[in-house]
Amino acid sequence: MLQYAAIAMLMLGLYGLLTQRNIIKIIVSINILEIGLNLFIVSVGYVEGGIAPILTSDFNNNGLVFVDPLPSALVLTAIVIGVGTTALGLALAKNIYQKYGTFEIDEMGEE
Amino acid sequence: MSAILLIAVPLLAAFISILFKKYAHYILVFVSFASVFALGYMDLGTITVGGFNAPFGIVLILDDYSLIALYIVNTLFFLVAILNCNEFKKVGSIMLVALAGLNGLLLTGDLFNLFVFLEVAGIAAYLITTTNKKPLASFNYLIQGTVGSSLYLLGLILLYAMFGTLNMADMASSIANSGYGAGVTAFPFLLMFIGFGVEAKLLPFNSWTKGILANSNRLTGPMIASVYAAAIGFVFGRLLTNVFVIEDTFLIIVTIILIFSVVAGEAMAYASTKVREILLYSSVAQAALVVVVFMSGFTGWAVYLIIGNAAAKLVLFLITNTATKQLGNDDVETFKGLFVNNKVIGLAFTAVTLSVIGLPMFLGFVTKMNILENMFVSGDYIWPAIILITSVVEGIYFIRLLLNLWYKENDLPEVKFEFVLKYVVVIIAVLIMVFGVYTEPVQDSADNLVAYSYIEGGNL
Repeated sequence: MLQYAAIAMLMLGLYGLLTQRNIIKIIVSINILEIGLNLFIVSVGYVEGGIAPILTSDFNNNGLVFVDPLPSALVLTAIVIGVGTTALGLALAKNIYQKYGTFEIDEMGEE
Repeated sequence: MSAILLIAVPLLAAFISILFKKYAHYILVFVSFASVFALGYMDLGTITVGGFNAPFGIVLILDDYSLIALYIVNTLFFLVAILNCNEFKKVGSIMLVALAGLNGLLLTGDLFNLFVFLEVAGIAAYLITTTNKKPLASFNYLIQGTVGSSLYLLGLILLYAMFGTLNMADMASSIANSGYGAGVTAFPFLLMFIGFGVEAKLLPFNSWTKGILANSNRLTGPMIASVYAAAIGFVFGRLLTNVFVIEDTFLIIVTIILIFSVVAGEAMAYASTKVREILLYSSVAQAALVVVVFMSGFTGWAVYLIIGNAAAKLVLFLITNTATKQLGNDDVETFKGLFVNNKVIGLAFTAVTLSVIGLPMFLGFVTKMNILENMFVSGDYIWPAIILITSVVEGIYFIRLLLNLWYKENDLPEVKFEFVLKYVVVIIAVLIMVFGVYTEPVQDSADNLVAYSYIEGGNL
């Protein structure tokens, strides 16, 4: 179920990218796309009734059902990269605003 | 020496260079030279990172294929860095990150690690392109690059969910042993292909190229069209030969994309009236051609196609962008008669252009000839036909460009090229001519690489 929600969110982000003509809205769209993707990655590692794969005094044997920890680690990296891209996108948005005085791509009169 | 230093040292230097901002460009030149120099002392083999063995941990693979790739990319990077270090002092730190990212891309043997390095190299590239002073074009590049790598990640995760591994070699053998048909893996591979297609400038996904390269300066033009194009080409080659299963529907879709890229790239170059646009559309077509040759399985010749093309684009973009800066624009009309007073630069430009077209006596001819020969032997007649027809188109527009640049009676444009640039350009042109005539080493190494890289590149 979570996977369908994640795919829907990914598609929503893609739809936003294709239809919006405002720099900030485009950045928001790409963030929605990335969050959808991250949710999808986490959902891949989900196991019904699984617990976090950490050995503690309460759970100290390997016979238990664990969720797959690898997708969570991948998501962590993907989130960091996403933040970096967003920051760079916002910095470029500031440059664009200084140059053209607007965030609307149609009002910039260039390509 | 461990190959991991090729990634770690530039990254460390990038952080150090932030502390010493004034000397960032010296650090850049020193580190990029050191990494070319250090390549001679690298031991071939697999490097395990963090003590986890192959399918579980991240591995770096240094085989013949990645060694050649590293030599080419690092040398070109060093040339770009030394020619621009005084003019673009600000981007010294970013260039160091780019170097780390590119080396990582070429070395890694892990699909997720590849995504991370793709983003590191990508973010550095977006920042480097901001020196064009066209923020909208850079923003466009950023958005398309991010969507591309997100699609790559989606495809990768689907593969992980199916086969439970991220290691390239392990993935390839799991796919081969699983007994699934090509239809099952077609969708994730297509997503990954599109993701890489954005960076590799394949046609439906490359609308960023015009904004970046048509407004490029002496740093971004050679950097994106030569260094990045070479690196992405090599990585794409590794994926295509060692991981992807290209059959059935996927083969048809990819073939249509590539035919479209080659034909439309050459056609748009033919229709352009600006020098940089001609060059950028020609590199779109060349990038697609590289993918075609890798897909046909002629790894060695694809490598030479990348080398020839990257060297050529370095020379062409350096000369064009130096002239554009002094003349104000890059219309062919303005450039008319450019080489009448700059004969040395003109000869180098001509030699390199003729090599890209594929005329005899140049490296491009040896490569194209052997690719066509191998394709005919393997019974493929569609691609040779397309390559030959587009070569004619390529010949027409490049020779038309050369005639314009060489002949004009009066009112010649005044452009000064500095000494270092002349030196670099002439050496590359001479090398292209030497290996175009003395073809034995090229022939031998290309034929050997085909067999070797396929076995060694995937294995651990």
